[in-house]
Amino acid sequence: MFRIAVDAMGGDRAPDEVVRGAADASLASKNVELILVGDAQRLGRLLAEHRHDAEVLSIQHASEVVAMDAKPAEALAAKPDASITVAAKLVAGGEADALVSAGNTGAGVLACSQHFKKIAGVRRAALAAVYPTEMRRGEKDDPFSLILDVGATLDVTPDDLVSFALMGAAYASRISKNPRPRVALLSNGSEAGKGPKEIVEAHQLLLRHTGLNFIGNVEGVDIPRGTADVVVCGGFVGNIVVKMLEGVSETILGLARYAYKEKLLWRAALGMLSGGINRLKALTDWQEYGGAPLLGFDKPFIKAHGRSGARAVANAIRVTHKALESGLVGEIQRGVAEFHQRRDAAA
Amino acid sequence: MPQAPPTHVFRWDLDKTYLRTDFDSFRDLVKSAFEKAIDKRAVPGAPALLRALKQAGGATHRVCIISGSPEQMRAVLAAKLKIDGVEFDELVLKDNLGNLMRGRFRALRAQVPYKLPALLASRVALMKAGGEAANETLFGDDAESDALIYSLYADLTAGRLTRRDMIEILDAAEAYDDQRETTLALCQELSAGARDRDVVQRILIHLDRRSPTGGFDRFGGRLVPIFNYFQAALLLHSDRLLAAADVIGVAREMLASGEYTLAQLANSLQDLLRRGHLRRDVASRLALEAQEIVTAHRKEWADLPSTEEIAWSFATRVRALGEQEIPPAPPSKPLDYPKLIQEERRK
Repeated sequence: MFRIAVDAMGGDRAPDEVVRGAADASLASKNVELILVGDAQRLGRLLAEHRHDAEVLSIQHASEVVAMDAKPAEALAAKPDASITVAAKLVAGGEADALVSAGNTGAGVLACSQHFKKIAGVRRAALAAVYPTEMRRGEKDDPFSLILDVGATLDVTPDDLVSFALMGAAYASRISKNPRPRVALLSNGSEAGKGPKEIVEAHQLLLRHTGLNFIGNVEGVDIPRGTADVVVCGGFVGNIVVKMLEGVSETILGLARYAYKEKLLWRAALGMLSGGINRLKALTDWQEYGGAPLLGFDKPFIKAHGRSGARAVANAIRVTHKALESGLVGEIQRGVAEFHQRRDAAA
Repeated sequence: MPQAPPTHVFRWDLDKTYLRTDFDSFRDLVKSAFEKAIDKRAVPGAPALLRALKQAGGATHRVCIISGSPEQMRAVLAAKLKIDGVEFDELVLKDNLGNLMRGRFRALRAQVPYKLPALLASRVALMKAGGEAANETLFGDDAESDALIYSLYADLTAGRLTRRDMIEILDAAEAYDDQRETTLALCQELSAGARDRDVVQRILIHLDRRSPTGGFDRFGGRLVPIFNYFQAALLLHSDRLLAAADVIGVAREMLASGEYTLAQLANSLQDLLRRGHLRRDVASRLALEAQEIVTAHRKEWADLPSTEEIAWSFATRVRALGEQEIPPAPPSKPLDYPKLIQEERRK
C-alpha cells in the first residue's frame, strides 16, 4: 500500500476543495493511504461533511500555512510548522511515499529540495507541465505532451537539459504509457547548431550518450502541434511558454464570450459549435490531468494547479499513485545512471 | 440454580450491518434471497465482536437480531450465524409474504412501523422476564433508517416521548392502523414499567455507504457512525463491555480477512479520536494493555504484526493529531421525528 501526503492547506481553494478531493480519492481506491496535513480540527470538521473512507485517510496536524503569494524562502524559514514543510518531512522520513500540493509552487519546490534527496547524477530538479496537442500518443491515445522545466531551474547546463530529457521520457513512458516517447529540445531552429551554447551541447550529448528517441530540436510552433512528446528547455523559457499557452487559450475563450454577446448570428454559430467546443474543453481541461510533477528527487511530488478544485485534487492524487505504482523514480534513476555510464565509457 | 437476569442487550440489524448484502439492484436482491448460508459473507470483525459480546457476559448478555429480511430466510440466516459461531437469543424477521398477500405494499418498504414495534415488543418481554435494569447497545447501518428508528426507540425507553408525540410520529411514518395500535399499546406497557433513565447507551451505525459522518451529528453523541467493527470494539471497550483481549480478537479477525491492514486499523482509531468519540487516555490505556497481551500470546498469534510495529502505527496516528484539545461529541438534543421521517422518505 502506498501512502501519499497531501498538503491540505495549500491552494487558492484550500482546505475545503483539497479535503473534498482527498475524500473522493479515498473512496476510489483501497490501495492508497492519504495523510492530510494541516489544521487537524479544521480538516476533521471538513471531512465530516463529505463521504470518505476514514480507513485509508488520516490527519497530520500542522499549525501554519504558507500563503500563495508569500516569498518561498522567507515563508519556510518563518514557519517551521507550515503544512508543506510538515508534509515534505513526512515523505522524507518514510512515513509517506509521495507528496501532493496545490499550494505556493516555489515553497513546494523549496520544501522538497530541503528535505528530499536528489537522484544520483541529477544536479537540478525540473517541474514538468502537460499541455494539449493536435497529435495523440501512447496506448491511451493521449492528447497531452510534456514540457520541462517550467520554472524550477532558471539557469541550466547541458547536463541539466539531458537529465530533464531522461526524466521527461521516463514520465511519458510510465505515466502516459508511451513506450518510446519522442524527445526534443526547444530552440529557435530545427538545425543541430541552432540556439544557445547549452542547447547545442545538450543536443550532442543526447544524440551520442542516450538511447532516447531524440528527434532533435523543435521550435515554438511545434509545441501545440505535438511534434514531440517531451519538450525540453530551461526553466526560464519553459515558464514563459506555459504561461503564454495558458494566456492564448484564455484569450480565445474571452473572444468567444465577446462574440456570443455581440451579434445574434455569431451567437447562433457558436451555439452550433457548442458540442465540439465542449469536447475540446473537456479534452484540454487542466483539472483532468492532475498537476505538474517535480522530477529529480527520490520521492515524487505532484504540484496541482493553485486554483484546483476537488476534481483536480483527486486527479493529482490519482497521478501520484500511478507514479508510485509504475516505479517512476526507479526508471529515472536507471536512465540517468545509464547516461553517465555511457558518457564515462566514451571518455 | 436460577438464571441471572440480563444486564445488557445487544440489538443487531443483519443486512449491511452484520452481513455484506448488496441489494442496490433487483438482481442483487434476487441473488441475496437465494444465496446459501455458506456463501453469505459477514462484514469483517462483526462475527468476532458478536462472539466476544456474548462470551463477555454469558447469560447476562443477550443478542437480539431484528432484520428487514423476509421470514422465509430464517433457516439460511440462522445457519449463517451458526457457521460464524454466533449465538443469539432472538431473531425477528419481517413478514413480507403476509404483507404482500394482504396487499400492504407500503409495509414492504416502510421501516419505522415494522422495526419500532419489534424493538418495543422485545423490550417489554425483557422487562417481564425481570430484565428492566438491562442497558442496550444498538447496531445498524446507514442504508436504511436505523439511525432514526434507534434514536426514537432510545427516547421512548427513556420516557422522553408522549402518546401524542407517538401518534404524530406514526402518522408521519404512514403506519397501518394495526401497526399503530400495537405500537401505542407497547408504548403504554413500556411506560408502566419504565424508570426514567437512558437504557440505550450507544447506537452504532455501520457506514456501509460511507455516508458523511457529519450527517449524524443531529442525533447527538449517543449515536456513533462507525467505518468498521474495530471502531465498534474500541467504543465498547471504553464502555467497559469488552476487554482489551476482545478488541485484539476483533482486530485479528479483520486482519485475517485480508481486507484490512494495521495502518487502516490505526487510521480508524485516529478517526474516533478526532471525532471526539474516544478519549486519548482510554486509547493510551488500551494500547498498554494490548501490548502486554500481544507479547504474552506472541507464539499463538503469529499472524499478528510485531508488537513494535503495532505500537508504532497506533502511537504515530495519535501523535499526529497534535496537542490541540479534541472537542467532545455533542450531547443528544430533542429530535423532531415527524420531520426526520419525512426527510428520510424524500431520500
